[in-house]
Amino acid sequence: MPNSSPSPSPMAINVVAPAPSMFKKRSSQSAAPMASAASYLSALSQADARARNTRAPTATPALSLSSSVTSSSEDTVLHDSDFDNSDGLSLPARPPTSEQVFTTVHTEFGHCANEEYRLVSQHTAGEPLPAHVEQDPPYYILLSTYISYLILIVIGHIRDFLGKRFSPKFYTHLVPRNGYAPLNSDFDSFYTRRLKTRMDECFSQPVTGVAGRTILLLDRISPDYNHTQILTGTRTRALNISSYNYLGFAQARGGCADAVEESIRRYGVSTCGNRLEGGSSDLHTVTEALVAEFVGMEDALISSMGFATNSAYIPALVGKGCLVISDELNHASIRFGTRLSGANVRMFKHNDMRSLENLLREVISQGQPKTHRPWKKILLIVEGLYSMEGTLVNLPVILELKKKYKFYLFVDEAHSIGALGPHGRGVADYFGVNPRSIDILMGTFTKSFGAAGGYIAGNKALIDRLRIRGHLGPYAEAMTPPVLTQVLASMASIMGIATPSPADSTALVPASHPAPASPSSLPPWLTLPPLLSSGTEGRSRLRRLAFNSRYLHHGLAKLGFITYGHPASPIVPLLLFNPGKMNMFHRMMKDRQTPIIVVVVAYPATPLVTSRVRFCVSAAHTKEDVDCVLRACDEVGDVLDLKHGIPKRERWDIERIVSSAVELATS
Amino acid sequence: MESASTNLEPLFAFLARSLSTLEFAFNKLPGSAVIQRYVKSSHQNDPGRTLLELILVIFAIRTLLQSRTRADRTGKNFIQFSEKEVDELVDEWTPEPLGQPLSAVEQAELAAVPIIAGPNGPKPKLVNTGKTATNLASFNFTGLAGNEHIKQRAVETLRKYGLGSCGPPGFYGTLDVHIDLERDIADFLGTEATILYSQGFSTISSVIPAFCKRGDIIVADRGVNFAIHKGIQISRSTVRWFDHNDLKSLEDVLEGVEKERRKRRGPLTRRFIITEGIFEKDGAMVDLPKLIEIKYKHKYRLILDESFSFGTVGRTGRGLTELYNVPAEKVDLLVGSTATGLCAGGGFCAGSQTVVDHQRINGPSFVFSASMPALLSVSASEGINMLRSTPSILSTLQENVRAARAILDRVDCITIPSHPASPIIHMYIRSPSASSLHPSSAAPSKPSNPTSPVPRDAATWDWDIETEERLLQEVVEEALAQGVIITKAKRLRGQEAVEPRPSIRLAMTSALSRKDTEKAINVVKSALVKVLSKRR
Ligand SMILES: Cc1ncc(COP(=O)(O)O)c(C=O)c1O
Repeated sequence: MPNSSPSPSPMAINVVAPAPSMFKKRSSQSAAPMASAASYLSALSQADARARNTRAPTATPALSLSSSVTSSSEDTVLHDSDFDNSDGLSLPARPPTSEQVFTTVHTEFGHCANEEYRLVSQHTAGEPLPAHVEQDPPYYILLSTYISYLILIVIGHIRDFLGKRFSPKFYTHLVPRNGYAPLNSDFDSFYTRRLKTRMDECFSQPVTGVAGRTILLLDRISPDYNHTQILTGTRTRALNISSYNYLGFAQARGGCADAVEESIRRYGVSTCGNRLEGGSSDLHTVTEALVAEFVGMEDALISSMGFATNSAYIPALVGKGCLVISDELNHASIRFGTRLSGANVRMFKHNDMRSLENLLREVISQGQPKTHRPWKKILLIVEGLYSMEGTLVNLPVILELKKKYKFYLFVDEAHSIGALGPHGRGVADYFGVNPRSIDILMGTFTKSFGAAGGYIAGNKALIDRLRIRGHLGPYAEAMTPPVLTQVLASMASIMGIATPSPADSTALVPASHPAPASPSSLPPWLTLPPLLSSGTEGRSRLRRLAFNSRYLHHGLAKLGFITYGHPASPIVPLLLFNPGKMNMFHRMMKDRQTPIIVVVVAYPATPLVTSRVRFCVSAAHTKEDVDCVLRACDEVGDVLDLKHGIPKRERWDIERIVSSAVELATS
Repeated sequence: MESASTNLEPLFAFLARSLSTLEFAFNKLPGSAVIQRYVKSSHQNDPGRTLLELILVIFAIRTLLQSRTRADRTGKNFIQFSEKEVDELVDEWTPEPLGQPLSAVEQAELAAVPIIAGPNGPKPKLVNTGKTATNLASFNFTGLAGNEHIKQRAVETLRKYGLGSCGPPGFYGTLDVHIDLERDIADFLGTEATILYSQGFSTISSVIPAFCKRGDIIVADRGVNFAIHKGIQISRSTVRWFDHNDLKSLEDVLEGVEKERRKRRGPLTRRFIITEGIFEKDGAMVDLPKLIEIKYKHKYRLILDESFSFGTVGRTGRGLTELYNVPAEKVDLLVGSTATGLCAGGGFCAGSQTVVDHQRINGPSFVFSASMPALLSVSASEGINMLRSTPSILSTLQENVRAARAILDRVDCITIPSHPASPIIHMYIRSPSASSLHPSSAAPSKPSNPTSPVPRDAATWDWDIETEERLLQEVVEEALAQGVIITKAKRLRGQEAVEPRPSIRLAMTSALSRKDTEKAINVVKSALVKVLSKRR
């Protein structure tokens, strides 16, 4: 197992060590895979050490190796000082034929010419949306998970107990001192100190370069059990299946980046101020119009941060005497906004339409608490695609309910905009419903568009009200020109730009939604290369994403893993359960010959038992990349005993999965 | 350990007794034999397993009980309805419209918002008029907008990092350039560490709830900005207010709080003073050395919002700490904006390592939002380099501020609440009655109620918001007609904790020469005189 990553810290092994040692006899059977995992890891690190000792420092990369990509890619490769393709990430699996021309850098956006690996993201009309089922693992997994937490908690408390007595200097910031209460009580920080610290190697990994198909990790080690992290100065290129780069627009090269460069030269980096007091630019106007066109609403308002779009505009929509009905798994920004609004909040079970209807009946009939006055308004807030579960909102049913119960509907499309629907216009597009049947569409540009900030769209009167009544208008900095341009360019290339028909130049306003962007919707200086402006590449990105999502989803299921979410979702959570396996999984994926970085999430972001890995598929991934992830999961899954989804005889072998990818994806 | 087990002896005896009672009851249940056999045999094979299963059962029960979404049907306020009645109530219910259309005034207000065509800077072109005008509205204090060097660095960064980071800092969104900027700010200010947020506005409203929890005490200035109000609101801490920029009042409130605590014999909780360096509301400046002295004396921590003083005062723009020569370490949490101060984007909180690390896990808008685009981060770093290496930026800015004040202070139809060094200059219409405008100049009456953000003398405020807004808007339009962009301070009427007095807010910039500044200010002056003297 040769390996190009730097010396692994001894943490991963230490982390799980306390668990087996306490319950040595008991857990010998359930922890058997763990023991082998530990040995696997130590073997890995030995191999790694050997590899590092023998590896000669690599010289300047052979530029000719940068394959068929545009000459501009040289820079990117040059920056990558230890260019070699031993990780298989820098060069495509198959060299391109002479007629294939790729305009992207393979490390940012993978080259994939096979038109078979494309799918359309669309809901089959009339078909009910499969309910969100949380598949349970075998009991011993649940049990060992609880026990793991129990052990961690017990050990944590013992360490605190002893630590406070024998080395109080480590606890000074947790106890009252000189008349100051601690900033952070030892109770509140217990989880962070005693559980999260053990897994810190999985979080806040510093990176550099483009968060595209691959990403460059800045290698780090921890000499003191994760209290501090030290950058070693080396870098590792890894396959990136973690960034929210759904359509692969995180690129330093290509039409969008060229447009952004032009905008910096023309506009500078800032518009200096907030929207209402001198920070508005003509670019804001243009972008808002295009966003409104894209999502199919009358008007849209953009803000410089996605989180703030929720936290600052929800209070402008509802207030005292209003009720917000919120899915229990809604994002923190939504909770923040509703709390600020002063409205009452009720939650319903995640994506459970029965629970929602019962709740609606109850709240409307009961009215406001105590007074029983009717609610002024009821706002239902849901997400289009849930970032931890990969579930899709059941929009058709919600719209039915909306007709009957007259609530207003707010859909947060942070993850679904761009990523879902045959035209990339989000959940409404996916389900083929008219976006205007939804009152408010909110979304962010940090994900599919490779930009930053967020938008909120609705009818003109409402959006105008938010412009002058929302918190951000007079108080928050406006979105900056480079970001605006990235939004414009990426959005226009998803939509494609309509060619003006010379016959009637007045009929520029497209009659139907979703339609290509009208040529007048971009500033005159912004020209996209033909592949982008025709919408060809945008379409291909959408279809690559749809294929990759379904392929990974079904592939993992066939391998025997427990996954959550809808197959069309680019977010694919794979359930790990045991907290100890999180570090291991992360580690073992990263320490492979082709390093893969993953996001592991646990309590409190998820319920206690259902710790998971979350894959975020991108259009930038090639089919081979997904193969690579599947192979890695297959191996790691065996070592860590993760395959509890389907019985052994129903599982497919990895080779079969890889060779029947198309069949799997369309199933 | 041993002594603990002897202490527990009676408990064990009690447990055993209750267990046998339970066993007796259990045996009477139908089907109990099967379970008993299962438990027995499994216990024989593997005694530990019983324990594990028991734990599992406990957890299962707990999980069931914890169901977060259960409807509250048990409250005594719940009225039982039949299905039919519910249907009727549903049919009857008509919600209010989601948003009211704008009134004519509001529409005019929106239409008058200045929109810049092309790059912003000291003399941008306006979409509204199609003409170039001198800009005293946008925040370009340091004049870094449009700086060619920064543009070049931004383009280089774009070509290496792309634009967006596509992830929150916790999940591969931490770039080396973010780490660099955090270090640059910390070095610049002289604090141990810094944390970056991706929007200036959301910084303070995230910093406050990260530390201030229910039961903690916040003592805040009555004049703090909207974002701080929101942060305080979401923190659910106990809040006490002191009179705007009145440190005597602060001491009184602090003593009151201490008295209250002693009376209740409450536990020691976290206590914070929250105020601003230069107030967004009126440009007043806090007396930092005195404030630091007070906070040490009363053992409070200080959260200082320097959004409008970072990059605008001090010899090189380090803010109030440089101006007053106070080590920045003495401010526990120093919040600033790299968007306003450095013409880039985002905000930061500087402080000790503990303070910063805590926010990396507990700052809502840090944890749950994507990190800042790399090129904005690099632009901010470059901005700091420039401030360090070019002290003339700040001296020009201050010279312009002085020049502007020299003219404006002599205009007698307005009053200026802003500090003479403040780069934002607020102008109120002077009240005809010439009565008290500043709380400080008012005859000392009884102190305001510390539990309310509204000052006591609010009842005596004799300005009419609507009229003043209209007059000031006329001034703005008159100035624009003469080629100077200025703006009213836009407010969220009806949503602010205290309705701020309508004002015109000028933002000075070092990008204009002194002569140009004086020329522009003279235009503002004649607009003020023209509109406001008409009124009398
Ligand atoms: C549902 C949802 N809303 C809002 C946001 C915040 O977006 P941003 O990262 O652009 O601040 C996120 C990001 O994670 C999200 O998942």
